[in-house]
Amino acid sequence: MIREKILVNGAASPLGRRVLDALRANQHINAVAADRLNREALRSAVRDADILINATMGSAAAISLAAKRLFEALRGEAPSKRLVHVSSMTVYGNAIGQCNETTLPVEPLGKYASAHIAAETEAKGFSQMVILRPGVEYGPGCEAWSGRVAAWLAHRRIGDLGAGGDGYCNLIFIDDLVRAVLAAMRSPAAGRVFNVAMAGPPTWNEYLMAYAIALGATPVRRMTRRRWTLETTFLAPPLKVAELTVGRSPFIARQLPPPIPPSFRHLCAQEIRLDVTAAEEILGLNWTPLIAGLRAAATAYGLVVRR
Amino acid sequence: MLLDTTDFPDDHEIRADIIIVGAGAAGITMALDLIGSKQSVLLFESGGLEEEPATQHLYAGAVVNARLHSPPDRYRQRRLGGTTTIWGGRCMPLDPIDFEVRDYVPGSGWPIIYTDVEPFYARANALCEAGAFAYTTDATFGPAALPIVAGFTSPDYSTHRLERFSCPTNFAARYGHKLRGRHNVQVVLHANLTQIVLDENGTQVRQLLLRTLSGKRLTARGGRYVLATGGLEAARLLLANRDRHPRGIGNQHDIVGRYYMCHVAGTIGAIQFACPTSAVYRGYRMSPEGVYCRQRFSLEESAQRREGIGSFIARLHHPRITDPAHRSAILSLLYLAKPLIPYEYQQRLHGADGNSPGDWLRHVTNVVTGPVEAASFTWHMVRDRMLAERKFPSIIINSKANLYSIDFHAEQYPNAASRVLLDDTVDALGMPRIKIDWRYLPEDVHTVSRALEILARDFAASGVGRLHYDPALVETEITRYGAYGGHHIGTARMGSDPRSSVVDANCRLHAVNNLYVAGSAVFPTSSQANPTLTIVALALRLAAHLSRMEALR
Repeated sequence: MIREKILVNGAASPLGRRVLDALRANQHINAVAADRLNREALRSAVRDADILINATMGSAAAISLAAKRLFEALRGEAPSKRLVHVSSMTVYGNAIGQCNETTLPVEPLGKYASAHIAAETEAKGFSQMVILRPGVEYGPGCEAWSGRVAAWLAHRRIGDLGAGGDGYCNLIFIDDLVRAVLAAMRSPAAGRVFNVAMAGPPTWNEYLMAYAIALGATPVRRMTRRRWTLETTFLAPPLKVAELTVGRSPFIARQLPPPIPPSFRHLCAQEIRLDVTAAEEILGLNWTPLIAGLRAAATAYGLVVRR
Repeated sequence: MLLDTTDFPDDHEIRADIIIVGAGAAGITMALDLIGSKQSVLLFESGGLEEEPATQHLYAGAVVNARLHSPPDRYRQRRLGGTTTIWGGRCMPLDPIDFEVRDYVPGSGWPIIYTDVEPFYARANALCEAGAFAYTTDATFGPAALPIVAGFTSPDYSTHRLERFSCPTNFAARYGHKLRGRHNVQVVLHANLTQIVLDENGTQVRQLLLRTLSGKRLTARGGRYVLATGGLEAARLLLANRDRHPRGIGNQHDIVGRYYMCHVAGTIGAIQFACPTSAVYRGYRMSPEGVYCRQRFSLEESAQRREGIGSFIARLHHPRITDPAHRSAILSLLYLAKPLIPYEYQQRLHGADGNSPGDWLRHVTNVVTGPVEAASFTWHMVRDRMLAERKFPSIIINSKANLYSIDFHAEQYPNAASRVLLDDTVDALGMPRIKIDWRYLPEDVHTVSRALEILARDFAASGVGRLHYDPALVETEITRYGAYGGHHIGTARMGSDPRSSVVDANCRLHAVNNLYVAGSAVFPTSSQANPTLTIVALALRLAAHLSRMEALR
């Protein structure tokens, strides 16, 4: 039996892990993780692969490096190879309102957004590419938007943010994102870009409120503007420094409250709404209802609250 | 976008599809709901971002009986956000019975029913930041729900219904960032509506004339116009515009300004509970969303029908603050601190008792002999009210003696003789000031009297305690603080018959095709419920209606 070979770059990320698991569940597919391969091994793996998936998540540097390695290896290969590149909604920068895939980035752009834009530019050089721009990934395994948020809610460090939480929270349940990647692998829509997030997203306030209730972290606290500024402007930098230095000790790490970065405050207020019509119509995607997704996330991260 | 009249040249003309006058709870709600729609929207506000004495003074007017009603420039604010900048935040929806024609309430019956408004309540609740649209203990607290008084049962009163409390949300502060955005809605500050110009037939608004206190003029032309100026000002504007209709716009049948209602409220009696203090829970509980909620004794619809009385609710309350005989350090502290408390919350700190030097000394003694109680209360108020964004709604003092009074809030019957009319004096813009002649009926006293009798009967029958009060004093207590402040209802009532109402089921004037009224002015009956939540819900309903109408054009 000839098995289809699929190479997953960024297989250590929550998304990459789940994509790999989903692929390996199919006996007709030989799914390989690319992360630990050296340059030569990667080139060889790329050559052998029928489909490539770049699901790298993490810092701006990690995204740039992983994309650079993969695309270098891919250059010169047969143009028929499908590349599914998972980017981010951050490529829209400070845009507000309804954003479809043709919306241009709005300055200022942070390092993270710039890294994703650069990676997308590279990816667009491959004719069989499909780019996915997910919103905020949540669910089991999503440390950034479910794990740490659960910890913040549990310690009443966030909650109802008032006007600061009026931005749209373009959530994408992690299993939906996996389905989006699998759909993009087979889609005839080569050269297309797709926003992927639930349609009719909640505001950040609604998300935080519903998640807190699912976690049992109630009653939800109304944050004063003073407190919110203190957390995200004055406490965040020293907590981050502490996390990177003394926080390397597991004992101290447990005692340290995780910082709430200023970028999170900005995101919570940003009234950007992803237009996901193309993903629904062309990739045939539908979305896990929020309440079901939150229940799954709360099951995964409920221990944070109980502790 | 937020603009000021200073941004325009004198005699400038400005156009929009929908023009809303008044940026309070109703006006801001409509504007927010219309953001992103295909219509251009103008929202005019008389005031600025803060209270300005000269602008606020435009609200001044006369009161026929000053004992029964507060001055017209109190309990309302002429600035961006309107009276939401000072409101108390109590939210509750109207009940289905409130919309019905009740033969025992002359003038009752809305041209719409509860289910016409119900679809808008959830969003109204969200805008008021009152959490989920869940107004029963079961829906809010589930199995964790507690009774107000363990052991109290009644065939006529329910205790599982809640009132929820907004932060209280100042709509200007909370939603200002949305109004400032670049979209189809423009807000113009310092624009006072002085003239509603009708066409030759008097059936269509042609334009609005607006002025600033500095004398600048502005003309606004639109497709549809909405007066969202509050219950008193809507009547004033309609009555003051007499160019085409000598009695005022929409007032061919002398209805505008009449049927003016507030609520019938007061505090009465003493109830000594026989059960343990732990069996009485009269305070606030926080819902899972973090909203303060409070249970009350609600007179069931079946009892209202059987007795032929209006709607009524009651809460357990602390003794009268002004009387130092309560011996509570907290209440005396409040009494002594009354100069620091805003006017709108001061009313119950004034009274015939408590004013003598001897009483004052007794209040001081109460504070001095209860320093821990007073200090802990002060800390609670600073932390949970002054510094908090979601403010602890009111003073709650649990009586160690298990002794409380009854605070009631009841429907006021519609009464054509209770009215808002124009005074002979004019304001700085030459607009006639208003004169308020608020009146109540024997039926209002009867509603409270009978409802209290039933409550006292059921306390006694349940064996939890006895409510003692003097039935002869019910009317005295109702009028002790006069009409309930800030609830201005019924002055442009909704109905199907132009002979007995001003606006139709869509809040449009019967007499003028493109003029609407948003706010509690359109309520034909007052219910027992505080009006803001329903004002917001009806504003959302009106916004949806206008969007539909514009789409049909």
